[in-house]
Amino acid sequence: MLQAILIGLVAVFMVLDSRLLGRLNFERPLITCTLVGIIMGDLKTGLLVGAQMEMITLGMMSIGASGVDMNIGSITGCALVISSGASIETALTIAVPMTLLDQLLTTVADIIRIQLCHTCDNYVEKSQYAKARRVHILYGPIVYSVFKFIPVFLAVYFGNDLITAIVNAVPDYIMNGVSLGANLISFFGFAMLLSTMINAKNCIYFFLGFAIAAYSGLGLTAIAVISIIVAIVLYQLKFGDGAKLQTAGPSDDYDELEDDLD
Amino acid sequence: MSREGLEAQRNYPLNKKVREYFWGGWCMQALWNYERQMNTAFMWGISKTLDRLYPKPEEDEKKKERYRSALEFFNITPQFGAFVLGLTAAMEEEYAENPDTFDPNMIKSVKVALMGPLSGVGDSLFQGTVRVIAMSIGVSLAQNGSILGPILAMLISFGVSFPITWYGAKLGYLNGQKFLSQIANSNLMDKIMFGCSVAGLMVIGGMVASLVTITTPLAYGETLILQEVLDGILPKMIPLALTGIMYFLVKKGVKPMVVIISCFFVGIILNYFGILAI
Repeated sequence: MLQAILIGLVAVFMVLDSRLLGRLNFERPLITCTLVGIIMGDLKTGLLVGAQMEMITLGMMSIGASGVDMNIGSITGCALVISSGASIETALTIAVPMTLLDQLLTTVADIIRIQLCHTCDNYVEKSQYAKARRVHILYGPIVYSVFKFIPVFLAVYFGNDLITAIVNAVPDYIMNGVSLGANLISFFGFAMLLSTMINAKNCIYFFLGFAIAAYSGLGLTAIAVISIIVAIVLYQLKFGDGAKLQTAGPSDDYDELEDDLD
Repeated sequence: MSREGLEAQRNYPLNKKVREYFWGGWCMQALWNYERQMNTAFMWGISKTLDRLYPKPEEDEKKKERYRSALEFFNITPQFGAFVLGLTAAMEEEYAENPDTFDPNMIKSVKVALMGPLSGVGDSLFQGTVRVIAMSIGVSLAQNGSILGPILAMLISFGVSFPITWYGAKLGYLNGQKFLSQIANSNLMDKIMFGCSVAGLMVIGGMVASLVTITTPLAYGETLILQEVLDGILPKMIPLALTGIMYFLVKKGVKPMVVIISCFFVGIILNYFGILAI
């Protein structure tokens, strides 16, 4: 019971990250599943499920209204994997139906928030500015929190036996196939991420990153550092002092701007 | 008319004002709605400024008009919202100072003009680059069971987001308009986008090659092991090909949940016939 409440609070923390903290990425499965792991006393599984779910969903951006996120599903999946002792990949199979349920509930919350937006208008018309402020900063987050807390709490509280029964009934080759499927979905995530940035001109940088990692076997931390260095070098070649000699005119403005940014 | 209010706003400590715009930015999505998106957030961020500018009861009509204007449609990357709030606050001051000469529609048009470009750069910077780099480092550490993974991912995200929001709010308030004209002259947005796309794409390339293992167990007797042949040409060729197939599906506009559910079935089939394996 207490554990289910705490996991529900992780879901609240998850949704408030993008509501009150400008989306610091604390909502991501890597972070929330780690918290779930700490709460349930199995940090290692929390980390592994978090890493797995993070990879799969890295490409699923939720900008404004569009896109799908599996943040709620990951929290629930991670909690149930730990409590039922199922394999890590099971988390994803729990996360998918949970995500569908979450989308359904989100629609209800969407309607409530449109109403709240009108409430806010009305308070302003009546010159009750403090109340209008409160609608935004208090009622909005409460609506978000309630709609994330309840499904996660219920799923974690009642889901354990169900998941254990299903996992015991399903043969091994299906479970292995599901694991392979989970890895396949990761590539869908990567592809979604790519599709927002790539074009004919810059796709070479994708292949550069791939080639370095594939041939050298370097880890991602190394790739990240190299990529930042390459980006800065190319930036300097393109817009820096060398480029200035060729285009003397507009680059004067550019210098002032750099000072301002400091 | 509102000299008193103007004094109050100008004399209010700078850091406290910047703090309001900062939190206004971070709380941009607290009441996100389909009708006007981040409108209440914008109102919330600028409301204290408006309250200070129009303190007297006889100025209430004016204040209400400014509140209504703040409640119009708005959408932005939260971290850059602070910049727009600061800039708008400075313009509201200007309007309160010269209500006859300053056209309040200026404020609206600046807000509208900034939404698109700032959101474009903001999303590709925070979602496309910072998040991808932070999370890919985090995942590669967490896969080895290290708690440093999530901690580092949080630190990187916070370390970029906080200063940009804070100094964005300050810059917007103190120097916003000058800054905007400089951006227009220097194509700064394009330059940032360029830098982000290089770093972001390289990391995604690295992820494809190193984060997920998929191999093929296919072999012809003892002599011809397909995976070894593939590795001899280009290691991680299968992940690259899978990314290509998935990219095609994304471009076709197939719904994410459809792909996710199909992947399970495809995974079960490919695994059963021994075509692909982890």
